[in-house]
Amino acid sequence: MNKPSVFVYICDARTDLLQEICAGIEEEGVPYEVREMPMQDVDALAYAAAEESVLGSGIGIAGETAAMQLRKIPKGQNIFKIVQPGREQCRALGANSARAVKRQKFKI
Amino acid sequence: MNYIAGVDIGNSTTEVCIAALENGRLHFLGSASKMTTGTKGTQANVAGILAALKEACEKLNMSAGDISLIRINEAAPVIGDTAMETITETIITESSMIGHNPSTPAGAGQAVGRTISLGHLKQGNSYTPYIVMADKSHSYEEVADTLNRYAQARNVTGMILQADEAVLVENRLERKIPIVDEVRYIDKIPEGKLAALEVAMAGSGVRMLSNPYGIATLLELDAQETKMVTPIAKSLIGKRSAVVIKTPHGNVREQILPAGEIYIEAEKDQTVNIDAGADAIMRALSKAGDIRDIHGQEQTNVGNMLARIKKGMSTVSDENQEEIRITDLLAVDTLAPVVISGALAGETCLEKAVGIAAMVKTRQLPMEKIADELRSQLKTKVKVAGVEAVMASLGAMTTPGTRLPLAILDLGGGSTDAAVMTSKGTVRMVHQAGAGELVTMLIQIELGLHSRNTAEQIKRYPLAKVESLFHMRLENGAIEFFPDAIEPKYFGSVVLLTGKDMIRIDEDIPMEKIVAVRREAKRKVFVTNAVRALQAVAPEQDLKNIPNVVLVGGSAEDFEIPEMLMEKFAEYRIVCGRGNIRRTEGPRNAVATGLVLSYLGDSHVDDE
Repeated sequence: MNKPSVFVYICDARTDLLQEICAGIEEEGVPYEVREMPMQDVDALAYAAAEESVLGSGIGIAGETAAMQLRKIPKGQNIFKIVQPGREQCRALGANSARAVKRQKFKI
Repeated sequence: MNYIAGVDIGNSTTEVCIAALENGRLHFLGSASKMTTGTKGTQANVAGILAALKEACEKLNMSAGDISLIRINEAAPVIGDTAMETITETIITESSMIGHNPSTPAGAGQAVGRTISLGHLKQGNSYTPYIVMADKSHSYEEVADTLNRYAQARNVTGMILQADEAVLVENRLERKIPIVDEVRYIDKIPEGKLAALEVAMAGSGVRMLSNPYGIATLLELDAQETKMVTPIAKSLIGKRSAVVIKTPHGNVREQILPAGEIYIEAEKDQTVNIDAGADAIMRALSKAGDIRDIHGQEQTNVGNMLARIKKGMSTVSDENQEEIRITDLLAVDTLAPVVISGALAGETCLEKAVGIAAMVKTRQLPMEKIADELRSQLKTKVKVAGVEAVMASLGAMTTPGTRLPLAILDLGGGSTDAAVMTSKGTVRMVHQAGAGELVTMLIQIELGLHSRNTAEQIKRYPLAKVESLFHMRLENGAIEFFPDAIEPKYFGSVVLLTGKDMIRIDEDIPMEKIVAVRREAKRKVFVTNAVRALQAVAPEQDLKNIPNVVLVGGSAEDFEIPEMLMEKFAEYRIVCGRGNIRRTEGPRNAVATGLVLSYLGDSHVDDE
């Protein structure tokens, strides 16, 4: 039931952020799953998403902030974190969570 | 106590060593190495010498003024230089192809149709096959919606996108078509032209468009036109996606530049055309015997290249161009990725090129002037002593396990030098063009690197690929783990391991390719040159007459060149290895050490 996919855990996420981040993952051809979660802290969201994803890659979005995490990286030490990001930044964050799975260079 | 210093000025580094003389015996105390300042043999070198002496003295808690005698080498008046010239060039005058590797194109397959912009689709008809172009002002939803709306009314066979959204669009299409994305200059593609588009299956390259007959099939070309598109097919080999657009007047041509001839003035004059390739040039050189000068045909690539080398040398060494002669060449065949003029996504085409290193002979170098300058600055005795090759042989003899007759191969930055010292003490020597700097140039050209510095580092350090935030795979297949998670910028990258830190390579080139290019460049330059040089100095020109070879010089410190040479010379039963000067210095400092050692053999009347 836990399909191999990048997990996106959200809490009051701004719709356009969510949409663009998901587009970034989709363009890289990696499956993803979005879940509404109770915690409001972006670090906690990203950490939990990465820990629970079979692929070990997760994204947390809280309001206007988003972070990307990988499994086994301590909570708070996000790989990338963006605050009030633009469209391109969102796409890149999504693409990077997928590239981590594909073992490809990050878009920076 | 008397302190004696030996100073060796090389093309790229200045090396010094300091010894104490006590009761007629020498004790080596220390050494240092600095970048050579200015062109070798000019007064600008003094700054580098002083810096190196200062560093060596500081380690010994003394000052440069305590040195009672400095011996500097009679540097060989030869300087190396390198240049590269492409022989072929592909020019596309009207934009008519796209061939690149977007990370994520979509929908494998081929398509043929007339180019049309998304906005003009409405004005199209239902019977013409179309290839739709959308610039990045259209979102992926809009593009997909429009195409779905026209699914029945228009025959859309393929698509070209400017944004990186091929997968996003394809996922939303009702009828799947091949899509090429990340085409930067999409606005330069003309509308209404017949175009063929191909996206390769994952893991392979395009098949139809990298084949002249494939293009002919898709675009219905006749024999003449097929001949014209051959360079396009050639430059699309290995690409994941490609578009070829038929323009009215076949506007692509592969231009053969007038490569020109090389004239060798020697015992037996030789003329060789550069088109004949590196092997033919090297054969002509070896047939020529002693070479007085080499120049190229005027108004051709090679002519300009050789003239440029001489001109450059005359500028730095302040001599007339007529007095500067090229006495040796090393030519190496190479392939250079050159940006195709008129390409739509920054495509490159591999062009045939020749890399050349030249040995430039100048007048006797003004070493006395350097000595004067040192004398007045340090208030100490300075002597220009001995021939470089003899000093290097003397220094190399301090390597444990060597005996006469001994050959040394000095693998430097600008030149590869060889000398053989017989048991009677006679020395034969040769200076040859082509060494570390040519290797750097070949690496830079073949990998299409922007910075020469990156090429230099690739030459020096082994590679690894960072496979996760916690581990990397080294080029020999071993895996190394990091104690803590590494910075994300390294993730998925190919890195160079300097021993202290990691350098990320920005260019997207597979590690295996970099390793192959690096090793091939070193082999082409150093193995070729080592055999050539030793043959020139070996008794009776026979390598079998040399029992042992000691490798010295900066490039002998390389992590793989000595092994390559060892393998090569094992064929001739020669003992060959990296020198270990004075058991401590490795392959460095041979000449400086020899200069100090030769003090004991010299008569010292003039020193007193």
